[in-house]
Amino acid sequence: MTPAVGVSGRRGERLLALLVLPALVFVLAVFVVPVARFLSLAVDNAELGLGLSRTVAALDAEPPAEGEVPGEAAFAALVADLAAARTAQQDALIAQALNQRMVGTRFLVIKTARDAARGEFAAPFKPAVLAAHPDWADPEIWRTIAANGGRLTDYHLLAALDLRRDAAGDIAQAPPEATLFRQLLGRTVWISVVVTAACALLALPLASAITAAPPGWSRVLFALVLFPLWSSLLVRTVIWIIVLQRNGPVNAALVATGLTDAPMTLIYTRFSLYLAMIQVLLPLMVLSVVSVMRRVPPSYMKAALSLGAPWFTAWRTVQLPLILPGLMAGSAIVFVFAIGYYVTPLLVGGPGDQMISSMIAFYTNRTLNWGLAAALSVQVLALLAAMTLTGLALRALARRSVPA
Amino acid sequence: MSAARLRSVAMYALAALILCYMLAPLLLVFPMSLTSGNTLQFPVRGYSLRWYEELIADGRWLAALKVSMIVGALSTLLALTLGIPAAIALAWGRFPGKRIVSAILAAPIVTPIVIVGVAAYFFFSRIGLVGDRVSIALIHAAIALPVVVSTVAASLTTFDRNLLRASASLGAGTLRGFFEILLPLIAPGVAAGAIIAFIISFDEVVVASFLSVGADRTLPRMIFSGVRESVSPAVAAVSVVLMTFSALLLALLGWLQSRGRRRGR
Repeated sequence: MTPAVGVSGRRGERLLALLVLPALVFVLAVFVVPVARFLSLAVDNAELGLGLSRTVAALDAEPPAEGEVPGEAAFAALVADLAAARTAQQDALIAQALNQRMVGTRFLVIKTARDAARGEFAAPFKPAVLAAHPDWADPEIWRTIAANGGRLTDYHLLAALDLRRDAAGDIAQAPPEATLFRQLLGRTVWISVVVTAACALLALPLASAITAAPPGWSRVLFALVLFPLWSSLLVRTVIWIIVLQRNGPVNAALVATGLTDAPMTLIYTRFSLYLAMIQVLLPLMVLSVVSVMRRVPPSYMKAALSLGAPWFTAWRTVQLPLILPGLMAGSAIVFVFAIGYYVTPLLVGGPGDQMISSMIAFYTNRTLNWGLAAALSVQVLALLAAMTLTGLALRALARRSVPA
Repeated sequence: MSAARLRSVAMYALAALILCYMLAPLLLVFPMSLTSGNTLQFPVRGYSLRWYEELIADGRWLAALKVSMIVGALSTLLALTLGIPAAIALAWGRFPGKRIVSAILAAPIVTPIVIVGVAAYFFFSRIGLVGDRVSIALIHAAIALPVVVSTVAASLTTFDRNLLRASASLGAGTLRGFFEILLPLIAPGVAAGAIIAFIISFDEVVVASFLSVGADRTLPRMIFSGVRESVSPAVAAVSVVLMTFSALLLALLGWLQSRGRRRGR
């Protein structure tokens, strides 16, 4: 199991590397590969690209004139494709995929597939299909099928940004009534920014108290701050529902002190979401600020003050730059966690406070729209990757400008 | 009062206020869960242990607790078996791509949990493992693995490797050296990793929601599915039990760490 623990030297250090293999293989198998497979659904076009491959090929070979229905070859291919799909029980998936691109085509595809599999259409197929299902006379369907061939698609990735391809194949804005995702992305980022900023502000007095207190008290304070970190996220979220509900202690206090006449609606609002998220994430910020603050000698501030600097000036020019790395690291951690929040918005937020994660879960659980769920996931991960790279670049720049 | 004294008082007052915001909700639930009424309310009208008795009487909570314990134990065991060797390799080994390997091992903990859950659901539904507690334990182990690796690696940095060379020169095999020299000396780090791994699994709700159906519901999953409509006093009671449990584990962790520090001196 540990062939090289006692072995020294370069060969030993190489052999030691083998010990990481089981863990690496495990993470690749249960995490990296499944996530990659799932994310690939964002560009996967199996339903239309493979399921209607013959039809797409026929439309490619003989493109119909603008505004015209294609000829016999395309109809024959369509019948073959749909009959095969029905037999393989893929027809509903094709119908769903086409319906996403062109609303109102779902039942047309399912009915046509059913008839095709029963062998109800005989050559020549064009008049037979048109007689049974006249909706196929709409040239727009054929244009949609032709435009969505191929193994890969950017449809979901564009849809996740409220974009789509227009008739000419150019990227265009989705109609205003169908826009949703840019607002969702903006809201997710905004909530995360507010939570991060609030955590940074609240962490400063807490971390200062922890660093300035005598050792025994400092340990107690630190343990109290960290305690919520170890009680479950779900429990802490549920507790906010209990505390903020109509018959809860906060409303009882508000009424008792005469601040309000009747209990207020505190829960299921943006306010309650902020309260809960900040409480959950604040310990992480305090943790990283304290670790930096402990290394700053208190004499620096004292020196600045004794030289006559006003307190805030001294703090801003002496203390803040020294603890900035801790604040930045803490902010990065809090922001990354906040962006992915799901349970808390779902339980204490209202319908207008949901974040991207909720929509990913929604498209997975309710509508089985894997493509859109994957595209939104790609969006979140791209955002986090961009954040990380910016952070690394900033740190590299900072290091170059301040030779240590 | 001098300005410095005033500032210091203001700082402690502010810190106390913020601490109050962080902890008061957790503390308020204790009396509220002791209500004798049918709903949660404040101020509490009458106190009783009614809802705690209900938890024991209602078999579903105990069944969920059992599932959570099994999943937690399985994932902790798995995270330790994979994590300890990996920590040894990362702490002592020198090989190309070490940083990439570390990054891959850390990926499950920084990826938004919903993506982990959905991807796991997609993956396990293809191989017919959705609804199986083993599938939940596998994903929990992947999430806990980086934490185990980092706590064990931290304890390895203070370990004197000459002890292993000495034991080898005295004729002890590698396995004996591992189990009789290395493991006892890094035990506090391993135990800390194990406790955190268990807490991660025991508290995790999103992956458990995607992967568990019917009988294999974990405790957080039970709470989660119940509270979207209303919070019953039973849920408040469970919350209190879970918080107490976490506090005990945290105290154990602190005790282990202080013991580890003393030994290190």
